[in-house]
Amino acid sequence: MAKGSLHQLRNSWAVQVRVIHALMVRELITRFGRENIGFLWIMAEPLMFAGLVGLLWHFTHGTTEHGVSVIAFVATGYIPLTLFRHCVARSVAAFTVNQSLLYHRQIKVVDFIMARFIIELVGGMMAYLFIALFLIIIGEFPIPSDIGLLIAGWMLYGLFCFSLCLILAPLSEVSETMEKFIPITTYIMIPFSGAFNMVSWLTPAARNFLLFSPFVNATEMMRKGIWGDKITAYYDPWNPIVCSAIFVSIGLILCRRVRRILTVE
Amino acid sequence: MIICRNIKKSYSHGGRRKQVFDGVNLTVSRGERIALLGRNGAGKSTLIKLIGGVEMPTSGKITRTMSVSWPLGFAGGFQGSLTGYDNARFIARIYERDYADIRAFVEDFSELGSQLKMPVKTYSSGMRARLAFALSLAIEFECYLIDEIILVGDQNFQQKCRVEMFEKREDRAMIIASHDMGFMRNFCNSAVILHGGTLRKYDDVNLAVDNYSHL
Repeated sequence: MAKGSLHQLRNSWAVQVRVIHALMVRELITRFGRENIGFLWIMAEPLMFAGLVGLLWHFTHGTTEHGVSVIAFVATGYIPLTLFRHCVARSVAAFTVNQSLLYHRQIKVVDFIMARFIIELVGGMMAYLFIALFLIIIGEFPIPSDIGLLIAGWMLYGLFCFSLCLILAPLSEVSETMEKFIPITTYIMIPFSGAFNMVSWLTPAARNFLLFSPFVNATEMMRKGIWGDKITAYYDPWNPIVCSAIFVSIGLILCRRVRRILTVE
Repeated sequence: MIICRNIKKSYSHGGRRKQVFDGVNLTVSRGERIALLGRNGAGKSTLIKLIGGVEMPTSGKITRTMSVSWPLGFAGGFQGSLTGYDNARFIARIYERDYADIRAFVEDFSELGSQLKMPVKTYSSGMRARLAFALSLAIEFECYLIDEIILVGDQNFQQKCRVEMFEKREDRAMIIASHDMGFMRNFCNSAVILHGGTLRKYDDVNLAVDNYSHL
């Protein structure tokens, strides 16, 4: 019996991997087409944002701030932030726009979220790598002092974004009012995202408050991984892990509930 | 076998509730071709969607021990912005089939030619029907769910369906919703009448069609 269910689990896993792969290819074709640079466009937006905002800050705030290059600092903050914003935007009404695919029983609603999230994550990481390499070459970006910590920070940031998607996607199907609050919420979120400051620059009270945010903890980890001893970082990796675990559980329950009442045209 | 046990389905919208099924039971055996009869809004499409797993029942359980196609109908199953070929490739991927085989069969059966390179949203309903049937026949299911769509095809397509679906694959189960009673009498070997949230099954299609026309 145990062997049978293990076998079944492995089969189901293989099916979901295949489905997510097919959904990703489909998503890339519909969003970016086959012309010119094609799917490389996924990294265009984060790149332009990080590059141009970085340049703007370079001229308005000076070349360095608290001893680190402004362009590099903005880039390392902005690209994860665009990942978060894209994930939120992509999960709104994700089930409705894909509903014709629910005709195929092996496609689950979580696959839609997963496929879109992976595309955004890969796009964001590619943009990050690209801009980092470019800035290293022109001497504006240090060689990361602890690449493991940097990747761990990215993973936790991504994990938390994913857990948010799992909650937002089903909620957006049942409540239209929620959709209206999303733009303002993502804007208000910016100070709590850790994108534009280190918490060590703040007063202890503000620092302790901001460290409740999983985004801040993950961003601090990434920055510590890049600049190492040059900066002081405060973080607790358990914060994003625990928050994500709670959100994933809630999100999966919501997805299941909403799928049961979903009306498919 | 497909077993639907005590299926209830209701839709709620803006505080209003519509009860479509109130405790419906149905068993579909291998090789059974069921004519689904019912007035507009009686729940033919809903029943097909529930059996196909597109929507979930409010309560009750559906057990499938044979492979069931996706509902072949006017909507669903395809991504309108993708071409016929892209859709075929997508379906080959998720059903784990060889794309080259699927492609060859689709080209041959659908006779859509260069239209397959156009987005599916530019297709007429007849062309959609050709593509949907071609793909589902290429994948091979033990039970086909057909929602109205068979009659939108032209003579040539209906002839092809007759040969491929009803002659070569007469061992397959089918659930067919249609308002063409002549077709139902000819091709089905049992029937179901949906009326007022209940379901009644008949082993005699002619009797069912007669009863249905007196509703």
